Formats: sequence, C-alpha cells, structure tokens
Amino acid sequence: MKKTLLILSLVMATGNLFAQKKITTSATVKFDASTPIDDLPKAENKTVIASLNTSTGAVAFEAAVKNFAFTNPMIQDHFNGEKWMNSDKHPTFTYKGNITNLSAVNFAKDGAYKVNTEGVLTVRGVEQKIATPVTIVVKEGAITAATNFSIKLADFGITGAPIDGGKIAKEPKISVSAELK
Amino acid sequence: MSDLPRKRYPWRRRLLIAVLILAVIFAGIYWYIATEKFADTKDRKAAYTVSAIEFMREFEENDSAANAKYADRIVTVNGRVSAIEAPDTTLNVKFINPATGSYVIFDFQQQHQAEARTVKVGDSISIKGSCSGGIFSEILETTAITFKRSTLNK
Repeated sequence: MKKTLLILSLVMATGNLFAQKKITTSATVKFDASTPIDDLPKAENKTVIASLNTSTGAVAFEAAVKNFAFTNPMIQDHFNGEKWMNSDKHPTFTYKGNITNLSAVNFAKDGAYKVNTEGVLTVRGVEQKIATPVTIVVKEGAITAATNFSIKLADFGITGAPIDGGKIAKEPKISVSAELK
Repeated sequence: MSDLPRKRYPWRRRLLIAVLILAVIFAGIYWYIATEKFADTKDRKAAYTVSAIEFMREFEENDSAANAKYADRIVTVNGRVSAIEAPDTTLNVKFINPATGSYVIFDFQQQHQAEARTVKVGDSISIKGSCSGGIFSEILETTAITFKRSTLNK
C-alpha cells in the first residue's frame, strides 16, 4: 500500500513538473538591421522553439538561423554567409536565462505582468550576457511573452564594410513573441 | 579649330562612352539583384519530393548528410498533419514522427497563408517550401526541421 502511494505521488509530482514547463515551436523572432540607406536587412523566423518554466522562471529559446526569411535573396545569402552568421557552422541562435523577479507574475491569474530577464544569448558561437524586460500576458491559461531589445553586432564579432558604410545597422533591433502552452 | 582635340584623341571619347555604358549596365545589374524578391514557391520546381516520415528518418539517422542534401533547396513533403500552430497572424503546419518526437514545421509564404488556413489536423497534404535544414533541439531533445516560404502543393 505504501509503495502504491509512493508511486502515485511520484507520478503526480512528475506530471506537475511537466505542466510547469510551457513550450512552443512557433515563437517569432524579428531581426531588423535596416538603415535610412538600406531597408532590406530585416527578417523574421516564425518557427523558433521556446520554453518557460513557470515554477523556476527558466527561459530558453532556439532559432534555426537558416529559417530567418528575408525578402531579398542576396541579403539572405549574406546573412547566412561565413562573414555574417556562418549558419553552416553555427546553425542556431540560442538564449538561456531566468526571470529575475518571478514573484512579479502570477501565472494562475489573468493579467499583464512586467518582468525582468537575464541570460546568455549565443550568436555565431559567441556568448553575450543580456538583460531585457519582458511583458507576460496570462489569459485563460495561455501565456504570451514579448520583448524588444537590440544587440551590438561587434559584440558577436560581426564587422565589415556594409556596417561601416551605414547599409546595415550596428545595433539591430530584435523583437521576440511567444505563445506558450 | 574647335574639333581639333576630338580628331586628335578619338579613342578618349570612345573610351568614355564605353565606360558610361558599362557603368549603366553594372548599375542595372546591381539594382536588379538588390531589389529582387524571392519568387512564389508555387512557381518553383522542387529538387526533391519525400514522405514526411522518411524525410525525418533521414535527419535522425545522419543529420549532416541530410542537411547537405536538403538545406537551401525547394522540397515537397507529403504527410498527415499532426498539429497546427498559430503565431501572430499567420500559422505553421507540423508533421510529427510519433515514434521519436521529431517534427517538420512549415511557415507559409504570405500570399499562401489564407489557403493554409483551410488545412486541418489529420489532413493528408503535400507542402512545398524552402528547406532550412534540421537542428537537434536541446529544449525538446529531438530533431526539428524547418521550412520557410511554403505553399500547399496541389
């Protein structure tokens, strides 16, 4: 009897743990490096994998670099090329971080919450710490998270004449949105 | 008298005209390349046509070889829809291998999103898109193969 109760407790605890990890494979990440000279260097990836542990506040993202869709074939080739993202060698952008003020959000109650996150963004194999505010909306059990921030390309070892010449922004804007279930 | 330089250096004028013509040609080529947009995937010929399960199996067995074969190519994938996810105002269609959890996910080209909304879970369909290759997801601990600019293949 004790064994049965123990197994049942373990099963329930495991189920509870799984329920706390919210996941999507359709998060959207937009990348905008356009400038007044060139409107083309911008793209979006709508198949980004994201997870949020509502119990620990752990947040993670994985984006396939090659699935950033540009409107222009030449810009997309440059983006994936060796001098830029080198996507054959570094096929993903990743982010691993945490909500630093987890008590500011109540995942059991509908509402919009402002939280802060800190973590490590890996682009082109280079890791950089980033901190960004995130808006979390809880509505009928669904969790939507959104954030906007910018990165310095030089921090990730990305340099070159198009950046110096003002055709590509030195600090592209990144926007992320995810509906986690 | 005023025509004297032209008679003396006729090659200069020809050279100048040739340089101007070349400059116009190069400017035209650059303008074409810089403003070119991706063609409608519906009008593009697929390099490969595969079944979803076989396609996923190729990535599971040897992702390097599968990426070299399929990434950056137009591929038609036939399968039964396992899930539909709706980020923002668009939607993604997924084929999932129930045995391994691997999946193929398709983001649709803007002009084909309305058509994609007619798809339902369980439908047997054919999708053509630009394959971005597969990655092993540390979050999901499975293989994720992504497509962009997809369209229903009829």
